[in-house]
Amino acid sequence: MIISSSKPFEEILENLDDPGKIFVLGCGVCATKLHVGGEPEVEAMCRKLRNAGKEVIGGGVAKAACNIKSKESLLENDPAIERADTIIVMSCGSGISVVSSLVDVPVHPATNTNSLGGYSEGHVRKDLCAMCGSCIADFFGGVCPTARCPKGLMNGPCGGAMQGKCEVDPDRDCAWELIYLRLKEIGRLDLLERIFEPKEYNG
Amino acid sequence: MSLKTNVTYYPAMPSAFKEKLLSDEFIVTSEISPPKGVDVSSVFEEAGLVRDYVDAFNVTDNQRAVMRMSPLAMGHLLKERGLDVIMQFTCRDRNRLALQSDLLGAYAMGMENVCIMSGDYPTKGDNPGAKPVYDLDSVQLLGAMNQLEGGYDIAGNPLESAPSFTKGAVCNTEPDQPLQLMKLEKKAHMGIDFFQTQAVYDIGHFETFMEGISHMEVPVLAGLIPLKSAHMARFMNEKIPGIRVGDELIARMESSTDPAEEGLLICAEQIRELKKVCRGIHLMPIGHYRHITALFEMAGLHEKH
Repeated sequence: MIISSSKPFEEILENLDDPGKIFVLGCGVCATKLHVGGEPEVEAMCRKLRNAGKEVIGGGVAKAACNIKSKESLLENDPAIERADTIIVMSCGSGISVVSSLVDVPVHPATNTNSLGGYSEGHVRKDLCAMCGSCIADFFGGVCPTARCPKGLMNGPCGGAMQGKCEVDPDRDCAWELIYLRLKEIGRLDLLERIFEPKEYNG
Repeated sequence: MSLKTNVTYYPAMPSAFKEKLLSDEFIVTSEISPPKGVDVSSVFEEAGLVRDYVDAFNVTDNQRAVMRMSPLAMGHLLKERGLDVIMQFTCRDRNRLALQSDLLGAYAMGMENVCIMSGDYPTKGDNPGAKPVYDLDSVQLLGAMNQLEGGYDIAGNPLESAPSFTKGAVCNTEPDQPLQLMKLEKKAHMGIDFFQTQAVYDIGHFETFMEGISHMEVPVLAGLIPLKSAHMARFMNEKIPGIRVGDELIARMESSTDPAEEGLLICAEQIRELKKVCRGIHLMPIGHYRHITALFEMAGLHEKH
């Protein structure tokens, strides 16, 4: 799941310079689950824009904003999109890019895309994968240090953790602490001894 | 006409610092920070105060992610004045291209002593929006240095001439941290000439740590930060990872009428103890340079030069 968060409404307003007729498009997948681009959020956005004096001609939620076959498919969400001078998209950056490529009017994001994460056991989980293109998460008990350690350290922790908490964000567990616990749990602490070569980027 | 120029190249000059590491001499290094600006006179002044007691100055690299003059430039300027330096090298600000080219540059300017570290995250410093690099981690950077020494860059391309470094790395000293020990093992495995530790306050604890890593046979320089007040001790306990000032020392600082003097006295006692335990000390005076000569004399460390 792509983890996104809502932009402050003031920032969205600031970016709307003479927007004309606005259509607000949400996304039925990750953004809906995270309550940043589902039906209630789209409705609230339309209301706030109207209260701010903007002309809103409609709002809707695409099945998946990142997966829209054609302009015709986009218009199936609501034919009013054709009349819009500005579209506000409440989805991750992929959805914003796809919608932008299908229309010839300005498209503005209403969300910030933060990471590739997930939702499990009632919790939103951020930064689970860095999409590096060469997965070796199994060597770390499924706790990927490239994604979950802010420094992406593959050969062990830095010296910055305090009581098992990350140097960068004390509310967050040190990824290497989690790796250790997980490897211990599955009886594979031997994997800690492996020395990992530098990652090949651009490959 | 020949395009060749006369280049002065120092092939594998024996490093004075490396020789000391291999000797029985008790080693003293002192941290020194480049200026936040272009005037280096205060750095020369600080270094000048203690230079006779110190084997090498450890030049920090945007320490605590606070932007300062490059350690490569500062190291060169100190070197020009006849001081031996250890360049700190963090993985935070440079990708593998920049790390390798700076390492070659450092060596060409006579700075073969390098101490590497991951580096504090940019949000800890004064340019919090900086892009964190960490292209290589410290273990991988040691690997890159080995490659350069072997005449190749990290991608396997041959060098025209190869450096030879004295390689150091940093470590915490909690004996009960399996992950820290694991990383230390990896660094030692990559081939290292010395370890420099986080500030030590509990010598008994440190001895246990030293016993735990004795099989690595790497010279250890114990980190020392003289205490200035009980408040500073509590602050470090709370905020600085890997530092643990015991209650007894805090009580001593608290009951003293001259805490700064007491801090130096404690530090001198620690140095005397450490002489029996490890190969040397790495002093982080934090603006304390004026009193360091007195500290060294109290600790029985005399002028070397």
